[in-house]
Amino acid sequence: MAQIGRFARAERDARIRGLPRRDLWWRVRNARWAGRRIDWSAYLFLLPFLLPFTVTVLGAIVFGVFVSFTDWQIVGAPHWVGVSNYAQAMGDHWVVGAWSNTLRYAMLYVPGTLLVALTMALYVNGQRRGYVLARAAFYMPNVISVTVVGVVWVWILATQHGLLNQVLGYFGIAPIGWLTDPKWVLIGLAATSIWWDAGFIMVLLLAGLQDIPKELREASSIDGCNDAQTLWHVTLPLLRPALSLSLTLLTIAGLRVFSQIYIMTNGGPADASQSVIGYVYEMGFGKYQLGYAAAISMMLFVTILIVTVVQLRVFREMTH
Amino acid sequence: MPRLPIVTRRRPLRGTLDAFLWALGMAFALTWAVPLVQMISTSLKPPGEVLTHALAWVPVHPTIQPYIDVFKKPVLEWLLNSVVVTVTSTVMSLITGAMAGYALARLHFPGRRLVFWAVLIVLMIPTEMTIVPLFIGALRTGLVNRGLADTWVAMIIPQVASAFSVYLFRNFFLSLPVELEDSAAIDGASRFRIFVALAVPLARPAMVAASILLFTNYWNTFLWPLLISFQDNMKTLPVGMLIFSPGGIGGGPTDINAYDTVMAAMTVLSIPTLVAFLVLQRQFIEGATGAGIKG
Repeated sequence: MAQIGRFARAERDARIRGLPRRDLWWRVRNARWAGRRIDWSAYLFLLPFLLPFTVTVLGAIVFGVFVSFTDWQIVGAPHWVGVSNYAQAMGDHWVVGAWSNTLRYAMLYVPGTLLVALTMALYVNGQRRGYVLARAAFYMPNVISVTVVGVVWVWILATQHGLLNQVLGYFGIAPIGWLTDPKWVLIGLAATSIWWDAGFIMVLLLAGLQDIPKELREASSIDGCNDAQTLWHVTLPLLRPALSLSLTLLTIAGLRVFSQIYIMTNGGPADASQSVIGYVYEMGFGKYQLGYAAAISMMLFVTILIVTVVQLRVFREMTH
Repeated sequence: MPRLPIVTRRRPLRGTLDAFLWALGMAFALTWAVPLVQMISTSLKPPGEVLTHALAWVPVHPTIQPYIDVFKKPVLEWLLNSVVVTVTSTVMSLITGAMAGYALARLHFPGRRLVFWAVLIVLMIPTEMTIVPLFIGALRTGLVNRGLADTWVAMIIPQVASAFSVYLFRNFFLSLPVELEDSAAIDGASRFRIFVALAVPLARPAMVAASILLFTNYWNTFLWPLLISFQDNMKTLPVGMLIFSPGGIGGGPTDINAYDTVMAAMTVLSIPTLVAFLVLQRQFIEGATGAGIKG
């Protein structure tokens, strides 16, 4: 309001006192947009962020699209090859295999993490004795480097002498090849990722739970609902925004999976755990077919965008 | 930024079912801590105990020999690289994020919605999508495989502009009352002075939350340093420590008896972020909540 006041006053002063006509500088400084004076200083505030952001993020994406239409290699001049990288990817059975692995991994990882995180959040939100400690234990893996996560879980999941198989051995279960059997490897990797990420999703869900007014749950229990009914009919529907965000973030994390697989199995055994980004890595930085690698990552990029938009839309529809 | 309530009084347990659920939850929490507890306890075991007392949480004859073995590798060089890259990236992301977040929250200018939407969309785009173009860029600008300083620059540049930091600061400034700044503006203070003298001191909670989350994130950055550290002395700690990895990649021991050294290396790599988390637990969790798209 102060600015509008000053603007009006200056205009009035200029009219009454016959002051010199407002020069260009004055006009720019007092330019208005959407009914208010423009804060030109905003662009200075944004510059230190926008400059590197434009180069390393927006520019990189645009450049990546360009590279995906070339036969870019580590040496030699790149040539424009049109959509042939994309056509090649469609017929490449390694690409198909990597997509299938990634989707099956995501189908274990996304619901698994969501379920575990929801259990954690409901438990911590109950604020029983020791809940701060439990919350710390749940969140702790999230601050750990992927190198540590990978190496520690290689040890836990080792077929011979692995901690998990030792514990299972007490119950008379024969050793399982968590990371060496093609049938089990995605399960072993998904379990690792669930341990790593569930704490973060728990925190998102906790924030959502705390936005639900206590009165609503109390009213429901006064109306004779038991805890399970309250959870299903009151808590979960009101938790939808947080659940929707979690689902989107988890789907993205599931589709982009690379580092833990690279460390734990490097795509093996027999490519049973090769992910899409793993294949991008192999093509781009193992065989230096950068154009081809860029095309495959673009396909994943578009998939992620579509999935994100669809999920957000669906949840918005469900909420209204 | 949403705040977690500071609860002074815990809810008492009601009945047997509640007590049973409580015990179940605590057992669950304990299980979740097992991998890291095992990591630390194994790092203090002499080689003979690694297998025979694999599940023991307390070593029978604790020793620091594994740690001495870890530092026989160029761990200190990697530590230096990690510290330089992480600290520089964090400070720069804080500055650029606070300034841009302030502009998005407080200032009125054409393009504000456009910039905000770009930030929101980029929050959703994984870094893996841009590694190929960034790698070509680093090659063409000659920042790769030249000297240590150039590698540092190449590692830091993609981390200067953090959409997460902008988002966090924007939300924080929106939650602050605007009256104080308005009266300063009427008194004729410039926007920049208002920002430095009024907004930044008030933003201390956001600074703390952003800096610990950015620090953790940058400390753990893996893929980009892996791609551009061509020589051993250029690696950061998470990449260098792969030599202890027994899995699909890395040259570590496959013999479980040698896991005392492996786990000591992993403990060294985890200590900075783990200690930061245990000391600043509340800020970590509040910051992570602020990071959730709740604007």
